[in-house]
Amino acid sequence: MTLEKKPAHSDATRRTVRRVLPPPVTGQEFVLIGVIAALWILLGIFTPAFLTPGSIQPLLVSVAPIALIGVGMTFIIITAGIDVSVGGAIMLCAVVTAKALVTTGVPLVGAIALSVALGLVLGLVNGTLIAYGRVHAIIITFGTANVFQFLALRVFGSSTVNGIPSTLEVFGRGEAGRTLGVPNSFALTVLAVAIAWWYLRHTAGGRHLFAIGGNAQAARLAGIKVQPRIVATYALTGALVGVAACFFIASGTSTLDQTIGSGRELAVIAAVVIGGTSILGGRGSVIGTLLGAILVATVTSGVTQIGWPSQLANLFVGVFIIIAVGTDLLRERARRKS
Amino acid sequence: MTVTSPPATPQLPPGADPGKRRGLVSRMLEALLTQRVVLLAVLIILVLVGMTLLDVAGLLSGSYNADYLASALISAVPLAMLGLAQLMVILSGKGGIDLSVGSMVSITGVLFGLAYGSWGWGFLAAFGFAVLAGAACGAINGALVAYIGFPPLIATLATYYAFRSLALVISDQKPVNSPEIQAFYSAAQSIEIPLIGGTLPLVPLGIFTFLLPTVVVVWLVLNKTTFGRRLYAIGTNDVAAAWSGINVRPNRMVVYVLSGVISALVAVVTVAQFASARPDAGTSGNGMALPAITIAVLGGVAITGGIGRVAGIVLSTLLIVWLNAGILLAFPGNDGSQYQLLALGLVLIFASLLNGITKRRYGGI
Repeated sequence: MTLEKKPAHSDATRRTVRRVLPPPVTGQEFVLIGVIAALWILLGIFTPAFLTPGSIQPLLVSVAPIALIGVGMTFIIITAGIDVSVGGAIMLCAVVTAKALVTTGVPLVGAIALSVALGLVLGLVNGTLIAYGRVHAIIITFGTANVFQFLALRVFGSSTVNGIPSTLEVFGRGEAGRTLGVPNSFALTVLAVAIAWWYLRHTAGGRHLFAIGGNAQAARLAGIKVQPRIVATYALTGALVGVAACFFIASGTSTLDQTIGSGRELAVIAAVVIGGTSILGGRGSVIGTLLGAILVATVTSGVTQIGWPSQLANLFVGVFIIIAVGTDLLRERARRKS
Repeated sequence: MTVTSPPATPQLPPGADPGKRRGLVSRMLEALLTQRVVLLAVLIILVLVGMTLLDVAGLLSGSYNADYLASALISAVPLAMLGLAQLMVILSGKGGIDLSVGSMVSITGVLFGLAYGSWGWGFLAAFGFAVLAGAACGAINGALVAYIGFPPLIATLATYYAFRSLALVISDQKPVNSPEIQAFYSAAQSIEIPLIGGTLPLVPLGIFTFLLPTVVVVWLVLNKTTFGRRLYAIGTNDVAAAWSGINVRPNRMVVYVLSGVISALVAVVTVAQFASARPDAGTSGNGMALPAITIAVLGGVAITGGIGRVAGIVLSTLLIVWLNAGILLAFPGNDGSQYQLLALGLVLIFASLLNGITKRRYGGI
């Protein structure tokens, strides 16, 4: 008897599970895809140079580090946290890696491992202070941002790091940085987004993050180890910052200057927010983050190609944030009324 | 009743404790931990004594005396004013924060520079124009947060980008520079205080023309007006405030407008200080928003809203400014500004961890 009933039972469970899960691609993401497609078509019509590999490839190269860090940031924001220290962390990882490349000539794998390990440590510091110090994440990461910047400037010594060898060119803008025409850094980012999407949607660990963001106290009572989870999200972001720092070094020139990483934390947060992740926690998607980063890069690239002042791009970024979050708020309000 | 231990009654205000059975040390420790103003005062004294000792020992590259401390106050003007803006915004609760103050300083500074320097307006007209522009920028933030329901972090992140971009576009990315503005530099000079000034160090004029009036007005608004009391109520619990008859939305919007107005005032000071209206005045480097938020948190403002005092902002500014001034002497050149970053970061982390400990041990700040 039990043998006969079991399949039916598990079938029903599977159906309820399916209903609990959000759709694989949400409304906000379809809107974003539509907006990006419309922009690409419009730009393609008005500036014929836009829809050529020579213009799209650099665009994807510039998307990669922002979207990659955005994956980690999405995890953090889903748990209702935030990390504004990634700018400082990028700077520190980049300068240490660049110095190692110049002075010791470490090979590719060594450079990436060094950068990732350093980023991981920085993320662990953030996560531990936030989870166990029980302090609001934005305050702690403002503080650590300053400390990371200080450390990075000490490592810089002089104003720039010069003569960086082309060890990291597999992530660069050149021919060596592409496979079948697709920039390697972007392909790697898409892979990371895919894994993160699966993790958030289909594993218990991923669902725990949403639970923590929805109500940390309830999550704790339900048996989720909240603090280690939170530490892990910051550590993940740190490790991804390490990889992204390599992307930044590779896509630049052989000189690294002190503006590296500056303001990137806000660019990453902007991409995450445009992608439909709620800053209040409990809701979000990494696909949206990738699309958000592509949208921002498209606008930045498009504004200059049309011939407008490049500073105007940030105005559009601001407007996009307001539109993306505004429509989400109105939809939420409508949902609550019905 | 009195047997109840302090951690078990978090609602008990500090000082309401029956202090007779506890030693002086324990009470002093509690005052130090629960009253941010006391802690800041002690830290300021420690910094002053420590730096003076270093000075006496000959480890500083210049003398750390009253004249130096007074001249260092020039950097306290924008810091404390924007700190007060953050105080009001964070007080209003619901995650209140204003990331856009730096961008508002940039854009109102450029508008002031254009009006005063290029369009030939009088000082008062240009000044009024800048303040109105600041209020308008703040009103956008306020409307987004209070009426549409944006999380403040997001609304002000968006306007941070928008205003920063507009400032650069309006000014064509060049600082506005004209003889009128260069002459305006005199507004940033140091002056002797009349009557008693001979014996006291020279104090930057901006302290008297901008900072002190702002401090007094914000203090009066927060402590002596119904608006101020409503603000604390809204920040503590906006649902309860609404049920007690407070119209939450307009009150919450006003703090963002005030933040814009204060940013405009800071913009005018900054134009005077640099003798030119730079379109990146509030956004270059780390910008002005992050230090202002740091000052507010260090000053004991609870990021969750409803808790914070003007005195905390003033003292935390003095602490940071005088600490930074000392660091500049201890580590000359580029090193100095780098160690300032370290000090700011460590002080912020230390202060926020302390907030957490205080909350657990005594309940509330």
